[in-house]
Amino acid sequence: MTVDALDPLIHVPARLQIMATLAALPDGDVLSFTRLQKMIGLTPGNLITHLRKLEDVDYLTSEKTGSGPASRTSVALTNRGRAALDEYTQTLRALLNGL
Amino acid sequence: MNGTSDVDRIETYDDEGGLDARKAARLLAQTQRQTQRELAFRSPWLSLLAAAAALVAFGSVWLSVRGQHPYKYPTVVGLLGLYAVVAIRIGSMLYAHRRARAGISGRSVRQTRWEGAALAVALVAVYVIMGALANAGASDGVVYGVYVVTATMLVLGTFGAARSAVREDKRDLGISIAVLLVAAGSAFAGPRGVWLSNGIGLCVVLLGDSATQAWLLRAPRSDA
Repeated sequence: MTVDALDPLIHVPARLQIMATLAALPDGDVLSFTRLQKMIGLTPGNLITHLRKLEDVDYLTSEKTGSGPASRTSVALTNRGRAALDEYTQTLRALLNGL
Repeated sequence: MNGTSDVDRIETYDDEGGLDARKAARLLAQTQRQTQRELAFRSPWLSLLAAAAALVAFGSVWLSVRGQHPYKYPTVVGLLGLYAVVAIRIGSMLYAHRRARAGISGRSVRQTRWEGAALAVALVAVYVIMGALANAGASDGVVYGVYVVTATMLVLGTFGAARSAVREDKRDLGISIAVLLVAAGSAFAGPRGVWLSNGIGLCVVLLGDSATQAWLLRAPRSDA
Protein backbone atom coordinates (compact mmCIF):
# COMPACT_ATOMS: atom_id res chain seq x y z
CA MET A 1 0.00 0.00 0.00
CA THR A 2 1.26 3.53 -0.84
CA VAL A 3 0.18 7.07 0.03
CA ASP A 4 -1.93 6.96 -3.13
CA ALA A 5 -4.40 4.90 -1.10
CA LEU A 6 -5.11 7.96 1.04
CA ASP A 7 -8.05 10.18 0.13
CA PRO A 8 -6.37 12.91 -2.00
CA LEU A 9 -8.95 15.46 -0.93
CA ILE A 10 -7.88 15.13 2.69
CA HIS A 11 -4.21 14.32 2.13
CA VAL A 12 -3.18 17.97 1.87
CA PRO A 13 -1.84 19.66 5.03
CA ALA A 14 -4.36 22.51 5.17
CA ARG A 15 -7.36 20.27 4.47
CA LEU A 16 -6.16 17.62 6.90
CA GLN A 17 -5.96 20.31 9.58
CA ILE A 18 -9.43 21.62 8.69
CA MET A 19 -10.95 18.12 8.85
CA ALA A 20 -9.21 17.22 12.12
CA THR A 21 -10.21 20.51 13.74
CA LEU A 22 -13.87 20.25 12.74
CA ALA A 23 -13.99 16.57 13.77
CA ALA A 24 -13.22 17.63 17.36
CA LEU A 25 -16.54 19.45 17.59
CA PRO A 26 -19.49 17.54 19.03
CA ASP A 27 -22.09 16.42 16.49
CA GLY A 28 -24.54 19.24 15.80
CA ASP A 29 -22.09 22.07 16.52
CA VAL A 30 -20.67 24.52 14.00
CA LEU A 31 -17.49 26.60 14.07
CA SER A 32 -17.20 30.17 12.83
CA PHE A 33 -14.93 30.86 9.89
CA THR A 34 -12.97 33.39 11.97
CA ARG A 35 -12.25 30.95 14.79
CA LEU A 36 -11.28 28.19 12.36
CA GLN A 37 -8.92 30.58 10.62
CA LYS A 38 -7.36 31.55 13.95
CA MET A 39 -6.94 27.92 14.99
CA ILE A 40 -5.35 26.78 11.75
CA GLY A 41 -3.46 29.93 10.85
CA LEU A 42 -4.36 30.16 7.16
CA THR A 43 -5.11 33.34 5.25
CA PRO A 44 -8.84 33.92 4.58
CA GLY A 45 -8.44 33.38 0.83
CA ASN A 46 -6.49 30.16 1.30
CA LEU A 47 -9.00 28.86 3.83
CA ILE A 48 -11.96 29.65 1.57
CA THR A 49 -10.33 27.75 -1.30
CA HIS A 50 -9.81 24.64 0.81
CA LEU A 51 -13.26 24.84 2.36
CA ARG A 52 -14.85 25.03 -1.09
CA LYS A 53 -13.00 21.91 -2.21
CA LEU A 54 -14.23 20.02 0.84
CA GLU A 55 -17.75 21.38 0.48
CA ASP A 56 -17.87 20.35 -3.18
CA VAL A 57 -17.48 16.69 -2.19
CA ASP A 58 -19.95 17.06 0.70
CA TYR A 59 -17.33 16.61 3.44
CA LEU A 60 -18.47 19.80 5.12
CA THR A 61 -21.29 22.29 5.10
CA SER A 62 -21.10 26.03 5.46
CA GLU A 63 -23.84 28.39 6.46
CA LYS A 64 -23.90 32.16 6.23
CA THR A 65 -26.10 34.07 8.62
CA GLY A 66 -26.80 37.80 8.77
CA SER A 67 -25.72 40.33 6.19
CA GLY A 68 -23.14 43.06 5.77
CA PRO A 69 -20.49 43.52 8.46
CA ALA A 70 -22.58 41.45 10.90
CA SER A 71 -22.60 38.40 8.61
CA ARG A 72 -21.07 35.24 9.96
CA THR A 73 -20.06 32.06 8.17
CA SER A 74 -20.02 28.81 10.09
CA VAL A 75 -18.72 25.42 8.99
CA ALA A 76 -19.19 21.86 10.21
CA LEU A 77 -18.27 18.37 9.08
CA THR A 78 -21.00 16.28 7.47
CA ASN A 79 -21.50 12.61 8.33
CA ARG A 80 -19.81 11.83 5.03
CA GLY A 81 -16.87 14.02 6.05
CA ARG A 82 -16.52 12.28 9.42
CA ALA A 83 -16.62 8.89 7.72
CA ALA A 84 -13.99 10.03 5.18
CA LEU A 85 -11.67 11.21 7.96
CA ASP A 86 -12.16 7.93 9.85
CA GLU A 87 -11.26 6.00 6.71
CA TYR A 88 -8.27 8.27 6.07
CA THR A 89 -7.04 7.66 9.63
CA GLN A 90 -7.42 3.90 9.31
CA THR A 91 -5.60 3.83 5.98
CA LEU A 92 -2.84 5.99 7.45
CA ARG A 93 -2.50 3.60 10.40
CA ALA A 94 -2.30 0.62 8.03
CA LEU A 95 0.34 2.39 5.97
CA LEU A 96 2.45 3.17 9.04
CA ASN A 97 2.16 -0.40 10.28
CA GLY A 98 3.41 -1.58 6.92
CA LEU A 99 6.48 0.63 6.97
CA MET B 1 -4.49 28.47 29.56
CA ASN B 2 -4.08 25.37 27.52
CA GLY B 3 -0.60 24.46 28.56
CA THR B 4 0.54 24.13 24.98
CA SER B 5 4.31 23.98 24.67
CA ASP B 6 6.52 24.65 21.71
CA VAL B 7 6.83 20.93 21.25
CA ASP B 8 3.18 20.80 20.25
CA ARG B 9 3.21 23.75 17.89
CA ILE B 10 1.93 22.57 14.55
CA GLU B 11 4.62 22.36 11.94
CA THR B 12 4.04 24.06 8.62
CA TYR B 13 3.97 22.13 5.38
CA ASP B 14 3.69 23.13 1.76
CA ASP B 15 0.15 23.01 0.53
CA GLU B 16 0.59 20.39 -2.13
CA GLY B 17 2.90 17.41 -2.06
CA GLY B 18 5.69 16.64 0.36
CA LEU B 19 3.38 14.92 2.81
CA ASP B 20 4.39 11.34 3.40
CA ALA B 21 2.53 9.00 5.75
CA ARG B 22 4.66 9.82 8.79
CA LYS B 23 4.31 13.57 8.31
CA ALA B 24 0.58 13.20 7.79
CA ALA B 25 0.22 11.14 10.97
CA ARG B 26 2.25 13.69 12.92
CA LEU B 27 0.23 16.60 11.57
CA LEU B 28 -3.04 14.81 12.31
CA ALA B 29 -2.03 14.01 15.88
CA GLN B 30 -0.72 17.53 16.51
CA THR B 31 -3.87 19.13 15.13
CA GLN B 32 -6.13 16.86 17.20
CA ARG B 33 -4.17 17.56 20.37
CA GLN B 34 -4.00 21.30 19.83
CA THR B 35 -7.70 21.49 18.96
CA GLN B 36 -8.67 19.57 22.08
CA ARG B 37 -6.62 21.94 24.20
CA GLU B 38 -8.01 25.08 22.56
CA LEU B 39 -11.60 23.93 22.91
CA ALA B 40 -11.21 22.76 26.50
CA PHE B 41 -12.05 25.37 29.09
CA ARG B 42 -10.45 23.46 31.92
CA SER B 43 -6.83 23.62 32.87
CA PRO B 44 -4.65 22.40 35.75
CA TRP B 45 -4.28 26.03 36.86
CA LEU B 46 -8.02 26.62 36.96
CA SER B 47 -8.49 23.48 39.05
CA LEU B 48 -5.68 24.57 41.34
CA LEU B 49 -7.38 27.94 41.75
CA ALA B 50 -10.67 26.18 42.44
CA ALA B 51 -9.02 24.01 45.11
CA ALA B 52 -7.66 27.09 46.87
CA ALA B 53 -11.02 28.84 46.47
CA ALA B 54 -12.87 25.92 48.08
CA LEU B 55 -10.54 25.90 51.06
CA VAL B 56 -10.72 29.68 51.56
CA ALA B 57 -14.51 29.86 51.02
CA PHE B 58 -15.48 27.04 53.39
CA GLY B 59 -12.64 27.91 55.76
CA SER B 60 -13.86 31.50 56.19
CA VAL B 61 -17.30 30.25 57.21
CA TRP B 62 -15.82 27.63 59.52
CA LEU B 63 -13.74 30.32 61.24
CA SER B 64 -16.90 32.33 61.80
CA VAL B 65 -18.88 29.46 63.37
CA ARG B 66 -16.29 27.35 65.19
CA GLY B 67 -16.72 29.29 68.46
CA GLN B 68 -20.52 29.23 68.47
CA HIS B 69 -22.03 27.16 71.30
CA PRO B 70 -24.82 26.55 70.51
CA TYR B 71 -24.52 26.87 66.76
CA LYS B 72 -26.45 29.80 65.32
CA TYR B 73 -25.42 30.56 61.71
CA PRO B 74 -22.40 31.86 59.75
CA THR B 75 -21.57 35.51 60.44
CA VAL B 76 -21.85 38.19 57.76
CA VAL B 77 -18.06 38.35 57.46
CA GLY B 78 -17.84 34.59 57.00
CA LEU B 79 -20.58 34.61 54.37
CA LEU B 80 -18.99 37.57 52.57
CA GLY B 81 -15.77 35.59 52.33
CA LEU B 82 -17.69 32.60 50.97
CA TYR B 83 -19.67 34.60 48.40
CA ALA B 84 -16.62 36.61 47.28
CA VAL B 85 -14.63 33.46 46.58
CA VAL B 86 -17.60 31.77 44.87
CA ALA B 87 -18.11 34.87 42.70
CA ILE B 88 -14.42 34.92 41.68
CA ARG B 89 -14.58 31.21 40.91
CA ILE B 90 -17.72 31.55 38.78
CA GLY B 91 -16.23 34.57 37.00
CA SER B 92 -12.99 32.77 36.15
CA MET B 93 -14.92 29.73 34.91
CA LEU B 94 -17.19 31.83 32.70
CA TYR B 95 -14.21 33.69 31.27
CA ALA B 96 -12.36 30.46 30.45
CA HIS B 97 -15.53 28.90 29.02
CA ARG B 98 -16.30 31.88 26.78
CA ARG B 99 -12.73 32.05 25.54
CA ALA B 100 -12.60 28.36 24.70
CA ARG B 101 -16.05 28.23 23.09
CA ALA B 102 -15.72 31.45 21.06
CA GLY B 103 -17.05 30.92 17.54
CA ILE B 104 -18.83 27.68 18.40
CA SER B 105 -22.58 27.44 18.18
CA GLY B 106 -25.12 24.67 17.83
CA ARG B 107 -26.52 21.84 19.87
CA SER B 108 -23.95 21.67 22.69
CA VAL B 109 -24.26 25.41 23.35
CA ARG B 110 -28.06 25.13 23.65
CA GLN B 111 -27.66 22.08 25.89
CA THR B 112 -25.29 23.98 28.20
CA ARG B 113 -27.81 26.83 28.56
CA TRP B 114 -30.62 24.45 29.51
CA GLU B 115 -28.34 22.62 31.93
CA GLY B 116 -27.40 25.93 33.55
CA ALA B 117 -31.07 26.84 33.95
CA ALA B 118 -31.85 23.45 35.52
CA LEU B 119 -28.92 23.80 37.94
CA ALA B 120 -30.03 27.30 38.94
CA VAL B 121 -33.55 26.04 39.71
CA ALA B 122 -32.16 23.13 41.75
CA LEU B 123 -29.97 25.51 43.81
CA VAL B 124 -32.89 27.88 44.41
CA ALA B 125 -34.93 24.87 45.56
CA VAL B 126 -32.23 24.06 48.14
CA TYR B 127 -32.68 27.51 49.70
CA VAL B 128 -36.49 27.36 49.51
CA ILE B 129 -36.40 24.08 51.44
CA MET B 130 -33.98 25.68 53.90
CA GLY B 131 -36.66 28.28 54.58
CA ALA B 132 -39.26 25.55 54.96
CA LEU B 133 -37.08 23.68 57.46
CA ALA B 134 -36.51 26.84 59.53
CA ASN B 135 -40.24 27.51 59.41
CA ALA B 136 -40.97 23.97 60.60
CA GLY B 137 -38.79 24.53 63.67
CA ALA B 138 -35.66 22.58 62.74
CA SER B 139 -32.60 23.57 64.77
CA ASP B 140 -30.20 26.24 63.50
CA GLY B 141 -27.42 23.64 63.40
CA VAL B 142 -29.39 21.53 60.94
CA VAL B 143 -30.85 24.34 58.82
CA TYR B 144 -27.90 26.76 58.57
CA GLY B 145 -25.18 24.18 58.99
CA VAL B 146 -25.50 20.56 57.94
CA TYR B 147 -28.45 20.92 55.54
CA VAL B 148 -27.45 23.98 53.53
CA VAL B 149 -23.88 22.81 52.82
CA THR B 150 -24.69 19.16 52.23
CA ALA B 151 -27.71 19.83 50.01
CA THR B 152 -25.81 22.37 47.90
CA MET B 153 -22.90 19.98 47.43
CA LEU B 154 -25.24 17.09 46.62
CA VAL B 155 -27.01 19.17 43.95
CA LEU B 156 -23.68 20.21 42.39
CA GLY B 157 -22.28 16.68 42.56
CA THR B 158 -25.40 15.04 41.13
CA PHE B 159 -25.60 17.63 38.37
CA GLY B 160 -21.95 17.04 37.47
CA ALA B 161 -22.34 13.27 37.58
CA ALA B 162 -25.43 13.25 35.35
CA ARG B 163 -23.81 15.66 32.88
CA SER B 164 -20.58 13.69 32.63
CA ALA B 165 -22.42 10.36 32.42
CA VAL B 166 -24.38 11.60 29.39
CA ARG B 167 -21.11 12.76 27.77
CA GLU B 168 -19.33 9.53 28.80
CA ASP B 169 -16.65 11.64 30.47
CA LYS B 170 -15.18 9.22 33.01
CA ARG B 171 -12.81 11.74 34.61
CA ASP B 172 -15.55 14.27 35.35
CA LEU B 173 -17.80 11.47 36.53
CA GLY B 174 -15.13 10.39 38.99
CA ILE B 175 -14.73 13.95 40.29
CA SER B 176 -18.50 14.36 40.70
CA ILE B 177 -18.80 11.08 42.58
CA ALA B 178 -15.91 12.14 44.83
CA VAL B 179 -17.76 15.42 45.55
CA LEU B 180 -20.90 13.44 46.44
CA LEU B 181 -18.91 11.23 48.81
CA VAL B 182 -17.26 14.25 50.45
CA ALA B 183 -20.67 15.89 50.92
CA ALA B 184 -22.31 12.78 52.36
CA GLY B 185 -19.37 11.99 54.64
CA SER B 186 -19.05 15.59 55.84
CA ALA B 187 -22.66 15.60 57.02
CA PHE B 188 -21.48 13.50 59.98
CA ALA B 189 -19.07 16.25 61.07
CA GLY B 190 -21.87 18.33 62.61
CA PRO B 191 -22.94 21.91 61.93
CA ARG B 192 -19.50 23.45 62.57
CA GLY B 193 -17.28 20.68 61.22
CA VAL B 194 -19.33 20.28 58.03
CA TRP B 195 -17.86 23.51 56.65
CA LEU B 196 -14.24 22.55 57.30
CA SER B 197 -14.73 18.96 56.24
CA ASN B 198 -16.28 19.99 52.90
CA GLY B 199 -13.59 22.61 52.36
CA ILE B 200 -10.75 20.16 52.89
CA GLY B 201 -12.48 17.35 50.99
CA LEU B 202 -13.29 19.52 47.99
CA CYS B 203 -9.78 20.96 48.01
CA VAL B 204 -8.25 17.46 47.92
CA VAL B 205 -10.57 16.36 45.08
CA LEU B 206 -9.74 19.45 43.02
CA LEU B 207 -6.01 19.10 43.67
CA GLY B 208 -6.27 15.53 42.40
CA ASP B 209 -8.09 16.79 39.32
CA SER B 210 -5.43 19.42 38.72
CA ALA B 211 -2.64 16.85 39.03
CA THR B 212 -4.46 14.45 36.67
CA GLN B 213 -4.94 17.16 34.06
CA ALA B 214 -1.29 18.20 34.28
CA TRP B 215 -0.21 14.59 33.88
CA LEU B 216 -2.50 14.04 30.88
CA LEU B 217 -1.19 17.18 29.20
CA ARG B 218 2.36 15.92 29.55
CA ALA B 219 1.66 12.29 28.69
CA PRO B 220 0.65 12.03 25.00
CA ARG B 221 3.75 12.71 22.98
CA SER B 222 3.70 9.92 20.39
CA ASP B 223 2.45 11.02 16.99
CA ALA B 224 1.57 7.84 15.22
